[in-house]
Formats: sequence, structure tokens, C-alpha cells
Amino acid sequence: MKIFPVIALFVLWLVLSASYDLIHVVMGIVTAAIVVWINPTAAPSTRKFSWLSAIGYMPWLFGRVLKSGFHVSKLILDPALPIKPELLHYKTNLRSNGELVVLGNSITLTPGTITVEVAPGELIVHAIDAPSQKDLVSGVLDDKVGRLFPMKERDK
Amino acid sequence: MTWLAIFLIVVGLFFLVVGSIGILRFPDVFSRAHALSLTDSLGAVFVLAGLAVYEGFTFNFLRIVVVLLLIYLMNPVISHATLRAAYRSGLRPTGEKDK
Repeated sequence: MKIFPVIALFVLWLVLSASYDLIHVVMGIVTAAIVVWINPTAAPSTRKFSWLSAIGYMPWLFGRVLKSGFHVSKLILDPALPIKPELLHYKTNLRSNGELVVLGNSITLTPGTITVEVAPGELIVHAIDAPSQKDLVSGVLDDKVGRLFPMKERDK
Repeated sequence: MTWLAIFLIVVGLFFLVVGSIGILRFPDVFSRAHALSLTDSLGAVFVLAGLAVYEGFTFNFLRIVVVLLLIYLMNPVISHATLRAAYRSGLRPTGEKDK
């Protein structure tokens, strides 16, 4: 069993916990250990994650979420409910697990599009109407996520 | 500061209410999940941000930020898992022919 994930989870417990008496601290250690024991270690990603680009990525993503949030709100409040739901097969150049997780999560976070099924190179995405669909297909999200994982030599 | 907090919380409540209306109005599980993602990626976030501003830089501020990050990491996973289960069990969006 790896010790670092246990410590990380225990620190998370300490931050969120409101009581620091013996029983709760021990419960935290035991819980963290059980969680790490139950969950198999994920396969190491072939791509390195660039934390520096992530700092720029998150505000950008939030701006997108906000914009499409207002769009979906408008759809909901429109008496005619002008939605046109559709499943689309979205082709992407991203292959590695890390990239697909970030891409899929970003798509789902953005109101109007949700990732339904994931395979390397292809995502099935549910879009609520045409503008949301167009926004996704433009591929700008793809580029941004790709930039979060700078290419290593051996991937080329 | 208090007024900024009130403003943020009211914006959050707006998205929570609209999201709830959306869950009632949308026709199937796929489109309802869109309304749901509105409530957590915007509603809950604005309410928590408002609370964080109201709280100021205390230990609770740190807690709220951690909860915010966890919401952004986990809620998409939950929406995705729900829809994938629906998709795999054969549900398709209304209005779409089975291919």
C-alpha cells in the first residue's frame, strides 16, 4: 500500500473535519487507509500534466461555463422550450487517459453538453441544442486540453 | 463585502431555481442532466463563493475552496456515470431514431 495517497487523503480529512479529538483523528487515518486499500492504483499516465497551464485553463473554462450557463437558462425559461437534443460522435486527437478525463469532464461541466461514452479518440456527447453543439465542434476545447499535457519525447 | 456576498448568493440561487425548473420541464433523462449540470457547476459554486466572501480569510474559507474544487472534479463524473448507465441500458434521447 502506498503511503503518499493515505497522507494526502488524511490531510483532506483534517481540512474538512471540524473536530480534532482523538477519536475523529484516528477515524480519519483508518478511513484514508481503507479508501487507498479498496481503490486500485491507476495506471501511470504517459503524459505529463502541466500545472502551470492549468492555472490559465481553469478561469478560461469557468468563463465558458458561465456563458453557456446563461444560454441554457434562457432555453429553460423560454416558454416554447426550443431544445433540439442530439447525440453526436465527437472525434478527438487526444488519446491518453489523462487527456480524455480532462476533456470529458470539461465537456460535462459546460452546461449544454454532456459526455455520455468515452473511447480513445472518440466521445459520444449529448448536446441540448444547435449552438451548444457548434461551440463544441469548433474544437477549441480540444486544443486547450492538449496544451495541458505537453508532449514528451517518447510519444512522438 | 457583505453586499458582494449577498450578490453572489443571489446569483447562485437564480441558477439553482432555473436548474430545478429545467429538471421539471425537460423531456428525458439526457436533457434533464443538462439542467442538473446548471445547478452544480454554477448554482452551488456561486452560493459557496458568496459564503467564502462572507467568511473572509479564515480556516472555513479554505474548507469552502476545497469543497468547490471537489464539486468541480466530481459532479461531471456523476452526471457522466448516470448518462452512461442510461445509454448502455438502451435509452436514447427523445426525438432520435435508434441507429
